[in-house]
Amino acid sequence: MNLSYRIYYVFLRNLVSYKRFVVPTFLVSLIEPLFYLITFGIGMGAYMGQFGGKPYLYFLVPGVLVSSVMMSSTFECLYGTFVKMIHEKLYDSLIATPVSAEDAVAGDIAWAVFRGLVSGSLMMLVAILMGILPGSLLSSLLLLLLMIFVGILFASLAMIVTSVSPSFDFFNYYTELIITPMLFFSGVFFPLDRFPAWMKTLSNFMPLTHAVKISRAVFSGEYESGLILNFLVILVLEMIAFYIGIKMMKRRLIK
Amino acid sequence: MSILVSARNLVKKFGSLTAVDGISFEIREAECFGFLGPNGAGKTTTVRMIHCVSPVTGGTLIVNGLPAHINNRALKKMTGVIPQEIALDNDLTVYENLIVFAHFFDIPKREAKKRIAELLKFVELEAKRNSKIDALSTGMKRRLLVARALLNNPKLIVADEPTTGLDPQARHLIWQRLRQLKSQGVTLILTTQYMEEAQQLCDRIVIMHQGQIFKEGVPSKLVEEEIGREVVEVRVPKEEDEKIIQQLSSFSCGHERVGDTLYFYCRDGQGLMRRMIELDLHNYLTRPATLEDVFLKLTGRGLIE
Repeated sequence: MNLSYRIYYVFLRNLVSYKRFVVPTFLVSLIEPLFYLITFGIGMGAYMGQFGGKPYLYFLVPGVLVSSVMMSSTFECLYGTFVKMIHEKLYDSLIATPVSAEDAVAGDIAWAVFRGLVSGSLMMLVAILMGILPGSLLSSLLLLLLMIFVGILFASLAMIVTSVSPSFDFFNYYTELIITPMLFFSGVFFPLDRFPAWMKTLSNFMPLTHAVKISRAVFSGEYESGLILNFLVILVLEMIAFYIGIKMMKRRLIK
Repeated sequence: MSILVSARNLVKKFGSLTAVDGISFEIREAECFGFLGPNGAGKTTTVRMIHCVSPVTGGTLIVNGLPAHINNRALKKMTGVIPQEIALDNDLTVYENLIVFAHFFDIPKREAKKRIAELLKFVELEAKRNSKIDALSTGMKRRLLVARALLNNPKLIVADEPTTGLDPQARHLIWQRLRQLKSQGVTLILTTQYMEEAQQLCDRIVIMHQGQIFKEGVPSKLVEEEIGREVVEVRVPKEEDEKIIQQLSSFSCGHERVGDTLYFYCRDGQGLMRRMIELDLHNYLTRPATLEDVFLKLTGRGLIE
């Protein structure tokens, strides 16, 4: 792994180009959570009664927070990176400078994490404005930290997909067959308790499940020791995905 | 003069395809060295190994005393690359393209700004400083690529077909700038399919074909040695070849038949032309021999695919 501080330069390049997209992306990042919170939270929440003594929105918000990070960072490393690699040949220019292929890919992952963090924080802001407050200030800060870990994980996984993708269409397999089901199997919208055993097992194989569990605990400030295991799953998985993602992208970039 | 690039039995394979097949060459400091060849000859693959973006499969390749390797940041830092494809950052303006690239080379911001102002002047793009890339013509984009390649004050410039698709004005401007750089002591490596470009810019060239070097030398000498001074093209039916060749045998020309044309390569073109008038041949053309003749003679006049 030939990584260096130049990751930051690649991140900076993305930040400079972001200036032009900042308004539309902020709007999307704000409207999407509103859509979830209003339809599911208020619409469906009306039928749900209390969840652990609190309104449904308290159950929903922590899950939607991490899933919006998942979505943003995934899409950035799928479509964003693919356009830069294939259509704009940006990576070819980059690796002809002292920036290595590893720096370039890691820089894009860092960027996707940032995008995820922006989405997640905007969503938290909306929730707070709606009166759904995290347990404490510490909870909010820990949630931001969690978003970074979740972002690295899903950005790296998306990099692996991008590294083998012949075209945009290929991404549909990943988003429709893996990411979207993950949203429904990970306990974002409803608790997993009443799933049959095999579904529970399946959901444990989905990294988002672990992120949602941690997020919910941090949001309410009610921790339990099992969370360490959830965190380890995310940490180990993201280290592996980061390593493989960079290696596979490098193989595609350097010929 | 010291050697900047030295290749020994350099090989590059992509799977079962051998793109560069054991070539050896040396490039001296402050010269312009050209790789000529048809599409797929291995020119781009060779220069990509020199500027460290493509790993060497076999043989040795030393650049500035160091082995060329994709992780060799020191070599990348002293090299400027003008790529074949217009690989500019379309999300950014002209100025942003340059400032972002200056970061990649660790150039401090103040110095980068000064350098960008100079370079925009050098490639005559000052008026386009804040334009988006979409708003530039192909010629302007190529000039911006030249400016970008010069940000790091490179000791070595690799220009991979730098004038493909340009109109004559834009092409001459780029040639002038490249010559100007050479006069400042920069080493220039050029790949091209345009023989005129090679004659305009290069001190020495190699002609590549199917991954191998066919010929190496100084452009004008190569023309003289391989072809002579003049070329006479005669368009006559093939059946008359023998007769004409015999009639002109006293001029000791080389000859070659390709398609509808019989080519004569000679030193004394004027004498030959007088003889042609005497013979009352109509469909002929006399012109100075060029690198293109050498190229076509060596690589074959047939279509290469």
